[in-house]
Amino acid sequence: MTDTVQAPHGHDGESRRDFLTLAASAITGVGAACTLWPLISSMEPAQDVLAAGAPVDIDIKALQPGQQMVVLWRSHPVFIARRTPDELKTLQDQKELAQLRDPDSGILQQPDYAKNWHRSVKPEYFVVVGICTHLGCIPEFQPKPESVGPGWEGGYFCPCHGSRYDLAGRVFQGVPAPYNLPVPPHHFVSDTVVRIGENPPGETFDLNDVEQI
Amino acid sequence: MAAPSSQKQNALVRWIDHRLPVFAFMQHELYDYPTPRNLSYWWNFGSLAGIMLVIMMVTGIVLAMQYTPHVDYAFNSVERIMRDVEWGWLIRYIHMNGASFFFAVVYIHLFRGLYFGSYKEPRELLWMLGVVILVLMMATAFMGYVLPWGQMSYWGATVITNLFSAIPGVGQDIVTWLWGGFAVGNPTLNRFFSLHYLLPFIIVGVVLLHLIALHQHGSNNPLGIDRKGPQDSIPFHPYYTIKDMFGLSVFLVIYAAFVFYVPNLLGNVQNYIPANPLQTPPEIVPEWYLLPYYAILRSIPSKLLGVCAMFGAIVTLFLLPWLDTSRVRSAFFRPVYKWVFWLLVADCLMLGYVGAHRPEGINIVLGRIGTFYYFLHFYVLFPLIGKFERPLPLPTSISAAVLAKHGGGAAPASAAMEKH
Amino acid sequence: MRRLHAAAAAALLALAAGAALAEDETPALKSPGWSFDGIFGTFDRAALQHGFQIYSEVCSNCHSMSLLRYRDLAALGYSDDEIKAIAAQKQVTAGPNDQGEMFQRAAQPADNFVPPFPNEQANRAAHNGALPPDLSLIIKQRDGGADYCYSLLTGFKAAPADFKLGDGMNYDDYFPGHQIAMPQPLQDDSVAYADKAPAPLSQEAHDVCTFLTWASEPTLEARKQTGAKVMLFLLVMSVVLYGAKRKIWAEVHSGHA
Repeated sequence: MTDTVQAPHGHDGESRRDFLTLAASAITGVGAACTLWPLISSMEPAQDVLAAGAPVDIDIKALQPGQQMVVLWRSHPVFIARRTPDELKTLQDQKELAQLRDPDSGILQQPDYAKNWHRSVKPEYFVVVGICTHLGCIPEFQPKPESVGPGWEGGYFCPCHGSRYDLAGRVFQGVPAPYNLPVPPHHFVSDTVVRIGENPPGETFDLNDVEQI
Repeated sequence: MAAPSSQKQNALVRWIDHRLPVFAFMQHELYDYPTPRNLSYWWNFGSLAGIMLVIMMVTGIVLAMQYTPHVDYAFNSVERIMRDVEWGWLIRYIHMNGASFFFAVVYIHLFRGLYFGSYKEPRELLWMLGVVILVLMMATAFMGYVLPWGQMSYWGATVITNLFSAIPGVGQDIVTWLWGGFAVGNPTLNRFFSLHYLLPFIIVGVVLLHLIALHQHGSNNPLGIDRKGPQDSIPFHPYYTIKDMFGLSVFLVIYAAFVFYVPNLLGNVQNYIPANPLQTPPEIVPEWYLLPYYAILRSIPSKLLGVCAMFGAIVTLFLLPWLDTSRVRSAFFRPVYKWVFWLLVADCLMLGYVGAHRPEGINIVLGRIGTFYYFLHFYVLFPLIGKFERPLPLPTSISAAVLAKHGGGAAPASAAMEKH
Repeated sequence: MRRLHAAAAAALLALAAGAALAEDETPALKSPGWSFDGIFGTFDRAALQHGFQIYSEVCSNCHSMSLLRYRDLAALGYSDDEIKAIAAQKQVTAGPNDQGEMFQRAAQPADNFVPPFPNEQANRAAHNGALPPDLSLIIKQRDGGADYCYSLLTGFKAAPADFKLGDGMNYDDYFPGHQIAMPQPLQDDSVAYADKAPAPLSQEAHDVCTFLTWASEPTLEARKQTGAKVMLFLLVMSVVLYGAKRKIWAEVHSGHA
């Protein structure tokens, strides 16, 4: 079945016929494209899927210092870790920072309000998407020094290919993972409830804009 | 796109054609293909049927991306398509109404064949392949209707699968095998989904055979006489490509009117109620395009004979080329048959009406008359009319008839006139 | 002669189509006129909100609407905060928590409308074995649609003297068989509309049926609006293609006036 109509062979090109056939071809082409659009568009995330990706409120009352909880947001595992003052000190240790690929979080892997030395809204609470930026495994929470090996000051260790991150999710040099762990939009709606998936008022940030989830 | 006239083939086209002659094939079968110059709009319905097949397959494949073929989820997955999926409501209504329009087009195409003798020598196999397509369509539509898992889906499936229990001896075993359980249930739904997805591809294969058979001798025409020479035909492109496109556009206007303004007119409200195995709907009816067969089934008091009559009605269609004894194809020249044809149309409409209503009172009588006439028409009237009818004299050729009709005065060959 | 054939065929088809519609022994349905009728129909937002209020205050005590979600109410003109508040009025069973227990939490916009009873059996038990149907699709589930629902709601009356009404049943002019287990759900001023509009029974029935039509088909407006564009496009395309067809066939026609 042909979509286009061509002029009869070997006859003089009456301008009206050519215009008509041109118009016919054009209008049919537009019609065909418009018909395809809903079919392709229907594969976009449906409204229930988008609704399920709405922000979630997490109660962190029970979270102790040195502990981490894992929640789901948009089918991603999100780590909420409560860092101790000692752990926070290691985040500013120059020797540690020298071993990192991107100590200043220059690459877009976090919102602007998390582009600081603790990569979060509040230093005490670290909220990060727990997906290794290498090939997508879920890194282990290893906050205790020496737990992964000598010289380990605490952080995240990915068992799949050995990538390492510090307790602010920043990736070390010499490991397969290329980027820091991504920080999702989040803010505290109260002292004990953190809302994941929503920026603080006045801020804009979309997790889809980062280099690598 | 396809090759223009043979002088302008570019190097790429020639390279491909040398290895896989697709362009030469299309040039021959779609562009230059000689077609009778006098085809009326009744000849648009074949291409419309082909387009409906494509529309159904494309929308079906997209729907299948969102549908869940499990009894606990099927109904809600369809409602999810209607409410949550971008444009889901449109794709669903196109598919749903598309079934009706596919059958409408194919029935008109079929009756065109009956009127103009398109089933007669040398097109017997072409006709029989068409009947095969119709049967595959009926199976596909039946299974497709079960998928939304509404009340009518479930109970229609129950009634129709139970038909096979009429087979003596092994009947109930066959039904249990069809169901995959003790009643229509999840195994049934899953296999119907699988087969509903499969059958259209088989239909595509049979359609290709149908087109090959068609191209062996070319299309019939309203006069029913063979083409005698090049003055009787015109190339398919551009004449019939543009005519098919125009016909498609008009058809789409009607189709769109249903999809956008009365999308549930041809359906049954019962199917918006989730299937309930413990509650039979007040009336169990198939979709309109299956009503005449349903009427034939119910018109015979015996279960086994009713099933035989229903299948017999379809088998009869295969035998048409041999039941009709007339040597003349087109009803234009058959003064008796041309009126009897309309009796068949009326009979089918009446059977459709009967199929939609409870088998009580006058409907029982009408159903039996309708069934009786159906078989009478094909097994008695067809052979007899052909034998005893005195046909009108046939024109000498298509171009002669066209010239005579339009008062002549034109140059021969390419400038002969067309009536439509 | 051919035109006669075509006319005969059309007449037969029309007869069959008319006759194929189901027979009805109840009186003709009342048709109050709906804003969503016709090729340019839209939903009256005020009626939708009234209707939702009636559903919430009256119908939802017995009838579930499980295909609707609270977030769907945005189409009625409610804001995100209003929707959160509406949802939060209901409790949803969630869990299990880390102790393995199910617990109750406030409904959220993404949740489905909380049903009045946890399952069908509980609903039947509360209603002497009768099951108030889910209303998510009720308009599409009944012949006559919104007209039928309107007629039903305004069709309750005392049973005629010669009619034997079963125990606990109620007489309605429009319900098939005239005996319905549901007592008349709405009277004049059953509900005080939030915007203080008058609420006679006819208005309440009209508003709740508008709401129910929206619930059965939220995409109705999109359907009709898209339809207008598509029909216009197809009509224009048909004219253009007809012109092209005539031009291309002209040479086959040559000699023909």
